Formats: sequence, C-alpha cells, structure tokens
Amino acid sequence: MRMLELFRSTAFRLAVAFALATTAATAAVFALVYLEISTSDVARLRLVLVDEASKGVNESDDDLKRALELRLTRDLRRLDYVALFRADGTLAYGNIEKIPDIAVDGEAHYVAAARPPGAAEGRSEPALFVARRRADGGVLLLGRSLLEVYAIRGTALRSLAVGLGPAIVLTLAIGAFFARRATRRLAIIHETIARIMQGDLKARLPLGGYGDDIDKISRAVNLMLDELARLLDQLKSAGDNIAHDLRTPLAVMRAKLERGLAGGADNGELRAAAGEALEQLDKAMVMVAALLRVAAVESDLRSSAFQKIDLAKICGDLFEFYEPLAREKSIEMTFETPGAAPMLGDADLMREAISNLIDNAIKFTPPGGRVRLKTAMNQDRPTVWVCDSGYGVPPTEQDKIFQRFYRGAPGQNAPGYGLGLSIAKAIAGLHDFDLTVADNAPGACFELRARSKAALAAYAEA
Amino acid sequence: MPVDRSVRLPTVLLVEDEPELADEIRVELRRRGYEVRLAPTRDEGLRAAREGDAAILILDRMLHGEDGLSIVAALRDDGIKTPVLVISALTAIDERIRGLKAGGDDYLVKPFAMGELAARVEALLRRLEDVRTTRLRVGSLEMDLVERRVNRSGRSIDLLPREFKLLEYFVRRPDQVVTRAMLLEDVWHYNFLPQTNVVDVHISNLRRKIDAKGEAPLITNIRGVGFMLHADA
Repeated sequence: MRMLELFRSTAFRLAVAFALATTAATAAVFALVYLEISTSDVARLRLVLVDEASKGVNESDDDLKRALELRLTRDLRRLDYVALFRADGTLAYGNIEKIPDIAVDGEAHYVAAARPPGAAEGRSEPALFVARRRADGGVLLLGRSLLEVYAIRGTALRSLAVGLGPAIVLTLAIGAFFARRATRRLAIIHETIARIMQGDLKARLPLGGYGDDIDKISRAVNLMLDELARLLDQLKSAGDNIAHDLRTPLAVMRAKLERGLAGGADNGELRAAAGEALEQLDKAMVMVAALLRVAAVESDLRSSAFQKIDLAKICGDLFEFYEPLAREKSIEMTFETPGAAPMLGDADLMREAISNLIDNAIKFTPPGGRVRLKTAMNQDRPTVWVCDSGYGVPPTEQDKIFQRFYRGAPGQNAPGYGLGLSIAKAIAGLHDFDLTVADNAPGACFELRARSKAALAAYAEA
Repeated sequence: MPVDRSVRLPTVLLVEDEPELADEIRVELRRRGYEVRLAPTRDEGLRAAREGDAAILILDRMLHGEDGLSIVAALRDDGIKTPVLVISALTAIDERIRGLKAGGDDYLVKPFAMGELAARVEALLRRLEDVRTTRLRVGSLEMDLVERRVNRSGRSIDLLPREFKLLEYFVRRPDQVVTRAMLLEDVWHYNFLPQTNVVDVHISNLRRKIDAKGEAPLITNIRGVGFMLHADA
C-alpha cells in the first residue's frame, strides 16, 4: 500500500522522469563521444598517409627505400604496410606482394580485408591504403591497419556502456531519495491539514527550513491560518459583545412589560410600559441592523464595482444635510474644500462612513461648540477631516473607539450604540483608507485618508 | 391612520416561509384593511401571483433556500407588472441593488418595523400616476414645479432647493405615511439611517416655513413611523 502510494505521488513521478531525462542526456553525450573517437582517428590516419605518400613519391629510390625501411623497423606493432612497385608492377621493396584493388591517385582508400604482411593465407584486417604513382612509373604504396583504431573504438564503447549503467542507477537513487523526502513531508502536511479540518485550529504546517516551494506554501498556509484564527476570535468576541449589549435592552424591555402586566396596573400603565418596551426593542433592532451592516461591509470584496467619486461633492451634500441639525443644537458647522478630491469607491458607502463621523461629532459636541468638515488632497491622497470641539477622545481610548460596541465615558448616554465608528472603519478598510483620530484640544479630529496614491492612479486610469 | 372601509381594499399576496413573521404581517395588514393571501413557498407564490388578483406582492428574498427573486423575474417575463416589495434578511451591501434590478419595486431589510412595511405597501399601491405634472395642488398649498414657486393660501413661500424637493415628495403623497427611511432613500438618495434626528430637523424647518400662524399644520408626525401631509389642512 505504501509502495503504491509512493508510485502515485507527484514527487516520485517527477523523480522517475528526472532519472529518465538524465539517462537520455548522458547516453546522448556518450554517443557523441564515441562518434568523435571513431571518426577522428581514421580521419587523422588518412591525412598522415596522404601526406607521407605525397612527400615520398618524389624522393630518390635509395632515399625512399631507407625511409620505408625506417618506417618498418619502427613499426613494432606491425600495423604499417609499405611497398614500392616498379613501373612493370613488380615489388621493388616492401611487405606487400601486390597493390590492393584501389585507384592509384594519392588519396586514402578503405580496404575492408587486407592481408597483413607475413600473415597466413586467409587472415585479413581492415586497413587504409594510399597508392601514388612515381615519376618513373613505379607506385608508392603506404597503408595502415585499422585494427588498433577499431580496438580503441571497442574499448571506448565498452567503457561508456559500463559508465552509463551506474549513472542511471545513481540518478534513480537520488530521485527516489528526494521523492521519498518530499512524499514524507507532504504526508506530514496532509496529516496536519486533516487535524486542522477536525477543528484543531492551533495546528500549523511544519517548515522544513529548506526555503523551497513546499516551505513557501506551508508558510503561506500558516499565515492564512493565523488570520483565520484571528478572525474567528474576533467573531467570537464580537458575538460575546453582541450578546452582552443586547441583553441590556432585552432586560429593560422584559422588566417594563412585566411591570405593565403586574396586577393592579391599569390600561394606561400597560400602554406606557408597552411603549417603553417598544423603544428598547427599537434600540436592539438598530444594533442588530448596524452589526449586520458592519459584517456585510467587512465581508464585501466588490472593489471591482468601484467608480470615480468626488469626496468634495459627497461632503458638500452631507454638509447641506447635517448643517440644519447642527444649527438646531447651536453648533457652528463649517465646510471647507479647495477643490475636487477624486477617488475610486462606492459613493453610498463613503457617504455612510462620513455621515457616521458627522453624526458623532454633532452628538458629542455641546451647544455653542463647533464642527468642522474639510476635504482636500493631502499629499496627493484624498482626505476628509471631521473635527469637533466636543468631549474628545482620551489618548488611551483612541484605539478602542473603533471596536464594536465601545463607547467612551461621555458617550454612555448618547444614542448610537457605539457601532457608527465600526461601520466607518470597515468602509474605510474596504476602500483602502485609514480612519484615525487625533486630539483637537478640545474635541476630537477624525481623519479619513487614502492609504496610498494608488487610489488616485487607479482613478486616472478608470 | 384613516381607512376608508367603504372601498374594497386591495389584496396583498404575501410570499413568506417563516410562519410567525407571516402571521404578524398578515395581522398588521388586515388591521389596516388589506386582504392578505399567504403563500409559504416559491412555487405557490408564483402560481398565486399569476392566477390571483393581488394588487401587490410582498416577497421574502429567501424561501426555504430558494431565491424569491426568481418569482419576480418569472412574473416580469410574463408581462405581469404587479408591484413587488422584497423583504430580506440578506445584508450584503449590494443586495438591495440586486433586488431592485431583478424587478423588485422596493426593498426592505429585516428586521423592520410594521409601520415601515405598511407605509411602503401603501406607497407602492398609490404609485404616482403622472410624474410629468408641472403644477401640484393639495388643499391650500400650490406648487409650480417649473417656476419652482410655492404658495399656501395665496401667501408665497421661499424654499431652499432641498426643501422644495422634500415638500414635493409629500405633496405627491397626500394622506400617506412617509417614513424617515423613505425620505432618505427618495429625497436625499441616502441608503443609511443616521443615528441622529437629522430628518426631523429638516421636516421641522420645512414646517416652520409652510405653516403660518393659525394655520393647521400641513405635515404632522406619525408617532413611531414617520410623517404625513394632510390634504385637508
């Protein structure tokens, strides 16, 4: 079973393919080497013979004989054929009886079965011959046996064959080793994933420390698991918070209805209690709606549906919308913009985010205060500021206010249920904007600003 | 809310698979004088919408895992133009747009107040006949949509552009409950509910301008639901 799995694994198949490819390449190299050996020797011999024949042909008889003798004496392995024939065809000197069946043209010719000098009748060997006619009509014949060359050739072939076998075996072994290693790592990863699927969210894929592809993927999966675990945690704590915060209106509602139904309560009291209970229920419903809204925005990925929008225009409209409310509360509300603040986004959502900020600013600013709405390109990034002269946000709470349900002390009695900033933050994130708060001494200054100029570049392209 | 019982009120076809919510909606709409027919599944809903005489369809987006919007698509294919109010627990941010694109006429996200639902049903039933009118008249109030002039009992009233639009919205819907959400959606084109009473401030500013001393208030608050313009004021 394990063997079967090994054969099935991608790693093993890769190893086998690798071994085959290596073997083929090695064999090809060997073939080339062999071809080179076998042809170059013969080619060299041809040149030498032709050259010697052309030199010898013009020498005097005596000189030539001496040279031929010298050649024969030096030829310990008896590979050379030399002969000098007279014009009538008889042998003047040499170790061959007669000219082999070749053209007398000074070129090298291959003779498959030459009879070696002094050899018994019937023995033959392959050889190269050059015959060249002399001025006196005689013929100079030079030749050399190819036996030795062929022997070298055979040796080369044998040694190549001997070398190829181990090379194949070695490649296969190396491939198998790596395949096994990869398979084993994958098996461990597989087991870990199975554990995670069964709910063990703390398990992480092992890293081999090789920095290879498997490690890279494992690291990415681990990061993904970290993020998932974080989100699950967040979800869980959000769920806890929801349960906690819904409990208050529910408890109040229950108490009011109970009092209304208690003995002795008259119709008017019952109606009043029911009305108050309904108000609590409305609170709870607003909370649920806002929570669903945060979840919906956070899970939304439709930035592809983003369009060109102008924050200055959106803020201008919102200013017109909110200014009467501010005036009603004796708050001086102003709006400044030096010009368009273009971005890519969803107008509805951006409007909602900024509206939440303005809502808060007006809510948390006492009568006689100021709310300043401003939009501009800040270092090429579209930015919106909503600043007020209200209670402000203490430095220690500046991070917390964006969490779901968080409410600063001054806001405890204000309506809003602490979700507006969560929604604004989620919308900002969806648009790749940062939402931060700073001290406005007195009051708070919220800044909604694009994280990069990319938003603008994308705008230019769109 | 004044209900004229002498006129046979229209039938509402309610396609809703959650029995408790369906019951509540039925009780509420019956109380307001509507005839209510209930279809708990997609197929029954579609059959009833095709065969029946429903004046309006209230349609849950999700019906036992089936998409209620497919009913709208099927009806529109048949050329049936019965107005459809889609109610939905789906909250993805483009769900509303998807619902309206599929042929729904209005979209309401759960949880909603019954008053909101009733106001929207009424608004759909009394859809504007002729939006090209250039002059509107309700009781003592006259609006010239071309000249952008308003006068009440002969007295000229100066309105800001947004106030004019707001008033026009009311004048086109006399004696009809208009909720804050409807105003935000239709007058300001905002798809969110502010947490402050900003809409009420706009209404009271408008009221201050259109109601002279001694005149009956033209627009009044309907507690817990919204506002109404009274044609007889």
